[in-house]
Amino acid sequence: MSVMLRTALIVISVLTLWYTARKIRKSQLQIEDSIFWMAFPAALVLLSVFPGIAAWAAKILGVQSPVNFIFLAVIFILIVKVFSLSLRLSQLDAKIRTLTQEIAIRENLAQKQEKTKESE
Amino acid sequence: MRILIVIPAYNEQENIERVVDDLIQNYPQYDYLVVNDGSKDRTAAICREKGYHFLDLPVNLGLAGAFQAGLRYADRMDYDMAIQFDGDGQHNPQYIEAMAAKMEEESLDVVIGSRFWEKKKPFSLRMLGSRMIQLAIKITTGVTIKDPTSGMRLFNRSMIHEFAHNLNYGPEPDTIAYLLRGGARVQEVQVEMNERIAGESYLNLKRSIEYMTRMCMSIVLIQWFRKRRA
Repeated sequence: MSVMLRTALIVISVLTLWYTARKIRKSQLQIEDSIFWMAFPAALVLLSVFPGIAAWAAKILGVQSPVNFIFLAVIFILIVKVFSLSLRLSQLDAKIRTLTQEIAIRENLAQKQEKTKESE
Repeated sequence: MRILIVIPAYNEQENIERVVDDLIQNYPQYDYLVVNDGSKDRTAAICREKGYHFLDLPVNLGLAGAFQAGLRYADRMDYDMAIQFDGDGQHNPQYIEAMAAKMEEESLDVVIGSRFWEKKKPFSLRMLGSRMIQLAIKITTGVTIKDPTSGMRLFNRSMIHEFAHNLNYGPEPDTIAYLLRGGARVQEVQVEMNERIAGESYLNLKRSIEYMTRMCMSIVLIQWFRKRRA
C-alpha cells in the first residue's frame, strides 16, 4: 500500500467519523445505527496505520496485493450492510402496513359505536 | 353463515356507487366492506356521503395491504367467509352463493371464481400469462388451477385468520400456490365476469408482463423457502 493511499484512507475515515458524530449531536441518527459508521472508518484507519494487517490477510487469501484485499473487504462489508438495510426496510414496511390497517379499523369501529349511541 | 364481501378500492369514484348499491339492494344477505386504499379522488367522500361500510386507509398500501385490512376486519368481527371482490364492477355477486355452497359442502379453504372451469380458455396474448402461471402452479404443486389470476376468491375462517396476520399473503396466484403446497384445499366454480365499465384498468401490457414474470419467479423459485405457520 502506498503512503498516498494510506493517507487518503485515513483522511476520509476521519471525515466520516466527524460527520457521523455531527449527525448524532444533531439527533438525526440513532445510536444503534451510528455504531456501524463509527466502527467501519475506525477499521479503515487501523488498516492504514498498520499496513502489515492487509499484507498478511492478502497473502493468506491468495489476493495479489494488499490494496485488493482492502477493496474486497470493503465490498463485502457493504453488501452485508445493504442486505441488513433491506431486511429492516421490509420490517418497517410491514409495520407501517399494520399500523395503517389498524388505524382504519379502529376509526371504523369508533364510528359504529358512536352511531349506536346516537340511536339509543 | 356470515359472509363479508371485501372491496379494495383505489380511485374508483366512477364505479364504487354502482358496485355497492347493487350489493345493498340485491344482496342484503351479505355484509360488505369497502377498503378505500388512500384514493386521491372522491372514493372516500362518496362512501361517507352514502353511509357505506368502509375502512379509510390514511395512506396507499397497494392491493395486498388493502385486502389484508379487510381480512383483518373480518377476522376481528369473526366472519365465517370473506370474498375478494373488485371495486370496478368486474365481478358478479350472483355467484357468491354457489361459491359459498361449494366451500361448505366440500369443506374447502379457498374457492376461486373461475372464468375457465367449464369454459375453454381463449388463446389470446392476455391469456398467455394465465397459462404460464397455471403451468408454474401445476409443476410446483401438481394441482391444476384453471383461472389462477381471477381476482374473485372466497376464503374460509382459518384462511381469513392466516391472511390477516402474516407477511407475504398477497391475494395473488403465488399465495395460492404456496397454500396448495401447504395442503390447503382449493377449488374453482364457474363464473362470468364483466368488462370494466368506467375508469382505467391497472393492467397495461408492460404491467401485465411484469406481473406475470414476478408471479412465475415467485411460484417457481421463491415459495420453496417459505415455512408455513398457521
